[in-house]
Amino acid sequence: MSDRPTPSLSKHYPGESLQFFIQLSLDGLTIGSVYALVALGYTLIYGVLKLLNFAHGDVFMVGSFIGYGVLQALGGASNPVVPVWLLLVLVTLAAMAGCAVLGVVIERFAYRPLRNAPRIAPLISALGVSFFLSNSMQLEFGAQQFNYASYNLSGGALYFHGFDLDHVHIPLLRIITIGSAFALMVVLWFLVNRTRTGKAMRATSFDREAAAMLGIDIDRVIVFTFILGSALAGAAGVMFALRVPTFAAVGFTTGLKGFTAAVIGGIGSIPGAMVGGILLGCAESYTAGYWTTAWSDLVVFSILIAFMIFRPQGLFGRVDIRKV
Amino acid sequence: MAERLLELDGVSLAFGGLRCVSDLDLHVDEGEIVSVIGPNGAGKTTLFNLITGIYEPDEGDIRLAGESIVGLQPHQITRRGIARTFQTLRLFLNLTVKENVMTAAYGHTKAGIFRSMLRTPGMRREEREISELANQKLAFFGERLMGYRWNQPAYSLSYANRRRLEIARATATNPRLLLLDEPAAGMNPVETHEITELIGKLRTEGGYTILVIEHDMHVVEGISDRVIALDHGTKIAEGTFVEVATNQGVIEAYLGLGTAETK
Amino acid sequence: MSEWLPPETESPEEAVPTTGPAVGRDEWVAREGERRVSRAGWAGTVEERLRRVPWWAWLTLFVAAGSLMPLFESSGYVRLVGFNTVIYMMLALGLNLVVGWGGLLDLGYLAFFGVGSYVYAIFDSAKFGYHVPSILIIPAATIVGALVGLLVGLPSRRLSGDYLAIVTLFFLELFETVATNGNQIFGHDITGGSFGISTVFPLSFAGHTLAVQHNGIFAVSYYYLAIVMFLIVYVALFFVNNSRTGRAWRSLREDPLAAEVMGMPVNWLKLMSFATGAGVAALAGTISTALNASVYPLNFSPVVLITIYAMVILGGSGSQPGVVIGAFLVSVLLQVLQDPGQARVLFYLVIAFGVIAAYRVSVRLAIVAASTAVFGIAAHAIAASFHHSWVDGAHGGLAGVLANWVVVPEQLTPWVGQVAYLFLLVGMLCATQLRGRLRLVALPPTLYLAAFVWENEMIPNPGPARYIVLGLLLIVLMIVRPNGLLGERRVEIN
Repeated sequence: MSDRPTPSLSKHYPGESLQFFIQLSLDGLTIGSVYALVALGYTLIYGVLKLLNFAHGDVFMVGSFIGYGVLQALGGASNPVVPVWLLLVLVTLAAMAGCAVLGVVIERFAYRPLRNAPRIAPLISALGVSFFLSNSMQLEFGAQQFNYASYNLSGGALYFHGFDLDHVHIPLLRIITIGSAFALMVVLWFLVNRTRTGKAMRATSFDREAAAMLGIDIDRVIVFTFILGSALAGAAGVMFALRVPTFAAVGFTTGLKGFTAAVIGGIGSIPGAMVGGILLGCAESYTAGYWTTAWSDLVVFSILIAFMIFRPQGLFGRVDIRKV
Repeated sequence: MAERLLELDGVSLAFGGLRCVSDLDLHVDEGEIVSVIGPNGAGKTTLFNLITGIYEPDEGDIRLAGESIVGLQPHQITRRGIARTFQTLRLFLNLTVKENVMTAAYGHTKAGIFRSMLRTPGMRREEREISELANQKLAFFGERLMGYRWNQPAYSLSYANRRRLEIARATATNPRLLLLDEPAAGMNPVETHEITELIGKLRTEGGYTILVIEHDMHVVEGISDRVIALDHGTKIAEGTFVEVATNQGVIEAYLGLGTAETK
Repeated sequence: MSEWLPPETESPEEAVPTTGPAVGRDEWVAREGERRVSRAGWAGTVEERLRRVPWWAWLTLFVAAGSLMPLFESSGYVRLVGFNTVIYMMLALGLNLVVGWGGLLDLGYLAFFGVGSYVYAIFDSAKFGYHVPSILIIPAATIVGALVGLLVGLPSRRLSGDYLAIVTLFFLELFETVATNGNQIFGHDITGGSFGISTVFPLSFAGHTLAVQHNGIFAVSYYYLAIVMFLIVYVALFFVNNSRTGRAWRSLREDPLAAEVMGMPVNWLKLMSFATGAGVAALAGTISTALNASVYPLNFSPVVLITIYAMVILGGSGSQPGVVIGAFLVSVLLQVLQDPGQARVLFYLVIAFGVIAAYRVSVRLAIVAASTAVFGIAAHAIAASFHHSWVDGAHGGLAGVLANWVVVPEQLTPWVGQVAYLFLLVGMLCATQLRGRLRLVALPPTLYLAAFVWENEMIPNPGPARYIVLGLLLIVLMIVRPNGLLGERRVEIN
């Protein structure tokens, strides 16, 4: 059940506290980027539909599987038929595209019919979709782990290259992962805040009926949101699986954590999701490093519960003022 | 002089930078029917929310029969004797008509979970009393909410009947003071006339003191002992209906500056 | 469609003289008797009679039927399934209280089941050597469960809806984490970690130990004890629902603000709802642990939680008889899907029902049935012509008979299965979207693919297959009949 980040290939000396700290921070940043991408999907969908899309974590998982499939089709990590950079790009794009399609299908068939149903209905439907997805993958592909074996890419070059920060080696792969996650977030921010469709998304998230009455095509906005959110989840899946083997049941735990990150950051807020993801990743990493892995989950959950009690709107969220 | 049932003393409330209610003084005597009028946004529903404890005033005091009720939870205030209806109708739609009224009896009954599980004789007696109470309160409205209607879900009622049910539910808390928020909203002239009679009946037969927010001046004229006009969160006029309706400031607030002169 | 006729004879006393509008007079209400309709013929009489059967008569009938079950089935396995079903029913009743009546989305509910289980296990097992008599430990565990429920309910004072769901879900995760890692709490082993506690003593009353097994067959006494507990819980909760507290809970579900203003202390009521539901769950946990003589953290995973939610939703949230039936159906469903033979029969029954329900008895039904059969025979023939091992996988019984139609290879190449599954999903989605003739065209291959996938992938893999079915059930239920089997249609503003 543990999807703990594996220790980097470089050595670290537990006694050397600064190096250890840097190493842990790096781990936290890496897994945090994954959580942030997942959190963004949650936040986008909640913003527009007011729905906690419990199936989102499983979309993430499907993304990692699609990436694996494409990777193997292109020869696998050891003998790719295309240059490594192209391989990574194709794998990521395939996962993003596949997840986007999946997201659209889920919205169309499991959520759209429930647009006007009581609030609990799409939530239950989302749980059903989550069950369906994770168990379908388990049925078809088994419960075993699938390893991208990324250390085989160009003979391990992605791990050996990179730069050293105070005796801590930062592999190129990590840099690519964190960098592309960040780039995706910037693109997303741009899309939401600087384009017309993004403005329509924000309008819909404030008041769906009013937006509809102003001529905004709600269905298209929602589909667009799902495309964005699911594509990000797909990318997150690939980034995740590049470091840790993936398996059918990983969707639930990672989804939960991405969701935690979204809530900590303030559900409905994009910068919040990013910050929440990084914070969560680091919290997990530090706890696992300085304490034990077993209790890091406990710490994470306790933080979340505390947040929900004392600051339910999260770090950046808005407090919902409703007129009586 | 009749005892002052409700008293607001220098009450102010602001949301962020917006002053909703500013230094408001107001009182309602026992047995009176007082109407509150004013243009939209004047702070009338906010006033009700303050009285019932949904908001807490930034300054000032609110007293019921001499005792301050500021800072109490809404359900505590209701138990002290204030009940209200809502401008936007807040019935328990999926409960039956009779259950809606019975729920409001919670505040003055006391059978707990354990006694309910065991159905002690005390609990059963209390249930019978609650049922009787609900029948009485519903009967107040004639046949409209009687008979087979008792077991119909509240969402099956027409709009006018829903308004009546909400009033019936409020009376089931056995209040001394009844706050009615736009009871005639959305009603046709026949129903409006009926509501006017009903409010009078609530005072004479029910013995309630009533504070009404209303826009329809026919209703206000027909029921009020006293009228209070609000605008921008302050009181701009108070007196009988004629006094307030011809008050220059009130006309200005409703119809704008120019018309005041032509009136 | 059945015949609906207005009653022809109506006594003259119903006719009210019309005199124009008057305060309080409602002609519509007064003439209500004239408008009542009923089903014609015997179906109408039966329905009327059934509607008048009091709730306790149904309950007695149900419990009597359940009690007679061991007389017909002496298999220990069936008794165990029966016991577990009764436990599920109790859990469903408790959850119904919190979600159905209180409207509080408690995704942490299963943790209370766990608390009850672990308290029993810790104080009545060889692990620590405690051997508290059951007459004490069962109420104690229930109370502890209720207190934990109170604790978990505290956030509900400030949170509602989705946010409450999140926090409670995290409590469940917290519980699972503590249980799984409880073998290292500051050096003490309290919960046995992920291996759980497996040396739990059976129930004991007044010195008599209630043995769990006799010669390897589960003791019937536990089953009857569970039924008794179920009965007590059902009746107690029924009484509470029809009391001021039950009405207050339902009011708070409808509109918490209005409830508060009508004199009901909403925060306290939410806490009580959590606590009472938790107590019921904890109670169920005690006897369940006693029978299983063990407790493991995995018993309380979110998967089980969703299963219980499925029971409540299927039966109809808010309706006690509904959730009991829902629990029964889901529990039986999960059991049936474990056994290949039964799963096969169930599948074809469901397909047949579904198609008949969609098309009624009509020409189109015949077309669908015939073309599916033909499609299958053709596919089978083609497959057989390639190599006999493509169709030789089934052995004996119904499977063997059906294997003349469904293609059952001896060894299913993985990618064939995966492609078939994908096509099946696409086909199912298309079939829901298409209408008329296009649907008639899309249906036969989809049905055939479904049989293929069921036979070759789902039946051999009952683990994930069960939950796929459950997941689909939840989705379809929400779309088609969100109020479940016996729940009432609900209206919600915004």
